[in-house]
Amino acid sequence: MIHININKALHGVNGGMSLDIDLDIKQGEFIALTGASGSGKTTLLRILAGLEEAEGEIEVNNLFWLKNRKSLKPQKRSIGFMHQENSLFLNMSILQNLLFVQKDLDLALRLLSLTGLTELKDKYPKTLSGGQKQRVSLCRSMMRKPDILLLDEPLSALDAKMRTQLQLEILALHKEFNTTTIMVSHDPSEIYKLSTRTLVLENGRIIKDGKTKEVLLKSQGSQKFSFEGELLELKEVDVVIIAIVAIGQQIVEIVVSKKEAENLKVGQRVILGTKAFAPTILRPSQ
Amino acid sequence: MSQFNATIIDIQEHDSINIVTFEAEGFTLHMMSLELHESIKVGTGLVLGVKASSVAIAKEFSGALSYANQLDLQINEIQEGELLCSLQLKSKNFELESIITKASAKRMHLQVADSITALIKSSDLYIVEVL
Repeated sequence: MIHININKALHGVNGGMSLDIDLDIKQGEFIALTGASGSGKTTLLRILAGLEEAEGEIEVNNLFWLKNRKSLKPQKRSIGFMHQENSLFLNMSILQNLLFVQKDLDLALRLLSLTGLTELKDKYPKTLSGGQKQRVSLCRSMMRKPDILLLDEPLSALDAKMRTQLQLEILALHKEFNTTTIMVSHDPSEIYKLSTRTLVLENGRIIKDGKTKEVLLKSQGSQKFSFEGELLELKEVDVVIIAIVAIGQQIVEIVVSKKEAENLKVGQRVILGTKAFAPTILRPSQ
Repeated sequence: MSQFNATIIDIQEHDSINIVTFEAEGFTLHMMSLELHESIKVGTGLVLGVKASSVAIAKEFSGALSYANQLDLQINEIQEGELLCSLQLKSKNFELESIITKASAKRMHLQVADSITALIKSSDLYIVEVL
């Protein structure tokens, strides 16, 4: 069980704000942490890792990492931390990079095998691809069999195929070691595939905390297929109105009745919705 | 989209599919749905919606139809365009709009004050908001 109740004054993009987190996490949970940049996600991970100071308490499996301004040193905390940029030692082989963290050859070989790196163990980081380097970083962050694995957008620099592969490996390691994992991510498909619980941060506070599917699924009433967009135009055609709406990089058209259009104004934010039964799925034409 | 207030009188659930039955101004309506929000239970009052283009019309019909929702209403107003036709349907306090092709309206000789049956598939009915 992990209990976090911390407070820290931050200087965000919109001026001063306070990171104010009160959170209980069960052993073995995979938590996704999402929210706009500057909302405090990375700061929260750094506070957990002991790299930044904060007021309050952090208790991990009956051990206080932070209490009454007494803070356990980063190296005493059972934490694995993986970032977007790896920080491997260039003058050490892959295996040496792992053993530097913890002299446990069995574990190092097991991790390398789980991530398909066994054959590369004697190579040096500069000869590896971006995806392979991130795999090594992942293995290295698991070398201390951490109570908590912190992942700060670990895959955002990789291409889609490599991401999918690494996602599977992260999940495999999470399950194998029954680690509690907290991952910062902006990618809904990644969050859906990996996490069971999602927290949304806004201005230093948790504004949503729930099962991942419930947090991610944008629904309007009983309509499960829902998007927010900007109403660009209302075109009167025959006895109906065609509403043109911009959603992300795309423009879509929706037919509404005149009565329905009475409450609409061009320029408004609108939510388009339909039941999960109506949309069709096709593969894009090549 | 037509909207009207309704109250849930029954929920049948199997895996993540639900058939929800409502009462609205004396009519009984059925809705097919995936998982329902936890606030939605028997007795919950809510606003239901249906797109005007999802409402079909039958007149002097005999026989069987699979439509789970068959509402006996009266045509209150007809607005004709070039190709389409908008019908305002009514019964006491219940109002519904249907948009059909003008050709269908002509073929069926639809006129104001006609008694018709409005047909809505249960998968086309949806919850707009919980009251």
